[in-house]
Amino acid sequence: MALNLTINSSNPPLGALLAAEHVKGSVNLSVDEGKDNKLRVSESVQFSDVNSITRYLARVTPTLSLYGSNMLEQTEVDHWLEFSARRVCGQSGLATALEELDKALVLRTFLVGHSLTLADLCVWAALKGSYEWQSIQKQAGAFSHVARWFSFLGSQVPFTAVGNKYANSKA
Amino acid sequence: MMAFRELSSLEKSLGLKKPNKYSTQGDKKVPVLHSNNGPALVGLVTIATHLVQEAKRPKLLGGSAEHKALVQQWLEYRLTKVDGCLKDDIKTILKDLNSYLEDKVYLAGNQFTLADTLMYYGIHHIIVDLAIQEKEKHMNVTRWFDQVQHYTGVRHHLPPVVVLRNRVYTSGHH
Repeated sequence: MALNLTINSSNPPLGALLAAEHVKGSVNLSVDEGKDNKLRVSESVQFSDVNSITRYLARVTPTLSLYGSNMLEQTEVDHWLEFSARRVCGQSGLATALEELDKALVLRTFLVGHSLTLADLCVWAALKGSYEWQSIQKQAGAFSHVARWFSFLGSQVPFTAVGNKYANSKA
Repeated sequence: MMAFRELSSLEKSLGLKKPNKYSTQGDKKVPVLHSNNGPALVGLVTIATHLVQEAKRPKLLGGSAEHKALVQQWLEYRLTKVDGCLKDDIKTILKDLNSYLEDKVYLAGNQFTLADTLMYYGIHHIIVDLAIQEKEKHMNVTRWFDQVQHYTGVRHHLPPVVVLRNRVYTSGHH
């Protein structure tokens, strides 16, 4: 099974690229630059929504547990995917979203379970692409739990690779 | 013997197949490893460092020079401050660690190291006795502890400690 991901090179989908980077050792996946985001699975099936793309990639690589390791975790992941799309990428109210995120991260290293999931990828990607977060980040002590989680993930290998390559073209 | 169980758990978590035999030295029961090729090794951290090298996992001792120094610092902290600490010291240890870990995932920053494993083994008896409210008060320690006890292959001889994923005492009535 060969998958092909085409990305919008002028506004790269960081979440999908992060997911692609994580699964590339487990599935045959090529990434091309183009005009639209599109994951081609077969002749007749393709996905264009970022959350659909990341969900599909996580589901075809069950050994990586990117979708959590049980039904409860799966539901939590779904919650955070929705959160990233509506609350973080939404035009207003990032501060309330950050408050909620900060509260959730007090006693957690990763958003769901004890290892990396789509929840971390998508919320991190949404924040990375947010101007508002970039300016909030400069304030010392603001949302300290989010800040710790954000820089922890950002220092890990797949994140640095994707961040260096694509984040600038988005900003 | 605590140190023996700790070293044998460390061997397993490092994936070392052949268990070593240890003896002790002196009143403080310092562990001694008689190795096949070379002099006997004395002391918990010395032996632990040797085991990490034997397992060919040098990254567990830190990457850069600064990172290595940080790992050594926390290994020393474990031996001098945590081991044999008195009841009064516990409060200080928890307070220090809690403020240190506020912006860190692991003791030496963003990477898991030997310092995390040994601190976890050393501090377990303290954390296991904490009430939920105290665990929440030292939330950064609790979060770090929970992450390490779930880190693949680390826990072994120790019982898991229950950590709630969300706070119960949110309004700050400490």
